[in-house]
Amino acid sequence: MQRREFFKKMGTAAAVGAVLPSVGFAAGSKPVSPNKMDYKTAIHAVTGGKEPKPSKKVHLKVPEIAENGAVVPVTVTVDSPMTSDNYVKAIHIFNTKNGNARCLDVHLTPANGKAMVATRIKLGGTQDIIAVVELSNGEFLMAKSNVKVTIGGCG
Amino acid sequence: MEARKSLIKIKPKRYKNGDIVKVSFMIMHPMHTGMSKDKKTKKIIPAKYINNVKFIYNGKEITNMTVWESVSTNPVFTIYMKIDGKGKLTVKYTDNTGESGERSKKIKPKG
Repeated sequence: MQRREFFKKMGTAAAVGAVLPSVGFAAGSKPVSPNKMDYKTAIHAVTGGKEPKPSKKVHLKVPEIAENGAVVPVTVTVDSPMTSDNYVKAIHIFNTKNGNARCLDVHLTPANGKAMVATRIKLGGTQDIIAVVELSNGEFLMAKSNVKVTIGGCG
Repeated sequence: MEARKSLIKIKPKRYKNGDIVKVSFMIMHPMHTGMSKDKKTKKIIPAKYINNVKFIYNGKEITNMTVWESVSTNPVFTIYMKIDGKGKLTVKYTDNTGESGERSKKIKPKG
């Protein structure tokens, strides 16, 4: 009997030992982003409550499949004459699943000549990229595209 | 601290007054999100990312970018710019820890 008890105790102890560190690790491995923001609140904050209209004037160029989520090239081009009374005021790039939904806010002026911005962003997983464009007359346009990420780039 | 490596690239290399050229600003920066862990020490790396980039051409600010931590390590920012006379293009950046710096390039239109 004694021997049996001993083995039982050993078994439970081993099980607890195996479970505990994994729980501790799981709890500690998800730190919260310093500027945690949902993409809907982020877009709302930028447009001031207006609903951006999907438009063909906004060209959002992203890869369909990104092998490495750490470097995803994003290019946003807007068809605009860029004159002093009709130009693109700002281009905002959002993601839908990262800790912070905002990627880049670019404030342009007519001196740019052409409304375009290109950069590289990090994506934690398969998600949508949204480009919101503010025109000088107060209108908001948007474009949306999905990116499949094979290996996440955050963490 | 040693200044960060940065670079301004203008394409095409030869341009005239009135041309619209592509300007890229590249900088070596870790862009830590504050969410990743050091693999050896198992400690969270504190956030360190660029939060503002300004393009100034002959004293006039042409583009102002607010940058968030989702931008990749060693970022590249590309915009277009209209050439309007001889002068200097300056790119200034600041970081969330208060670090700042700048890079300049002479603008010499030909013809």
